[in-house]
Amino acid sequence: MKNRVSELRLVRGMTQGELGEALGVSRQTVNSMENGRYLPSLPLAFALGRFFDLPIEQLFEPDEEDVG
Amino acid sequence: MKVRTRTTHRARVAAVLVAAGIALTAAMWSHGQVGLAVATGVFYAVAATVSFLWAGGSGDVAAIMRAEGDERQRAIDVEATAVTGLVLIVAIVVGGVVELFRTGSMGQYGLMGALAGTTYAVSLAVLRRRR
Repeated sequence: MKNRVSELRLVRGMTQGELGEALGVSRQTVNSMENGRYLPSLPLAFALGRFFDLPIEQLFEPDEEDVG
Repeated sequence: MKVRTRTTHRARVAAVLVAAGIALTAAMWSHGQVGLAVATGVFYAVAATVSFLWAGGSGDVAAIMRAEGDERQRAIDVEATAVTGLVLIVAIVVGGVVELFRTGSMGQYGLMGALAGTTYAVSLAVLRRRR
């Protein structure tokens, strides 16, 4: 599943550590999400949406196999 | 407040290692294995020091060692625990079979295997109700 976390973070001029602090997760977790290695839980996905003021659908783009 | 929690957990993990080291050293010493006792004591002292220092870092492992990781770090901890459990169960089964061929009884391996199987069955029963 692709996501726009890295792009949106950079637009705000934030580091991964700063975004992690704002979301209550580690810098490593932000890095893993951005690189598509870690799929966040629904609560964390909603927290990302609230933080960037975007609906989840505009943050995450599921691959074909993700939607079946 | 948060810093105190981190330090407390780090100290507890180190304290458990120190206590285990003291217990093992005393047990070996009391059986006359002085050299092994000293080596074990030194090993556990080093392990406690490394654990305390490492847990003060900012990486994934440090956060897990402080028991304060985020959702991804907790998931890593759970998976690592599951892999550890699987490896131990395989070792118990293999050890039990070898012991059975050697002595005609599974001995302690049988008890450990029964404990592992019962724990898994009870965990399944409890966890499936939670999710």
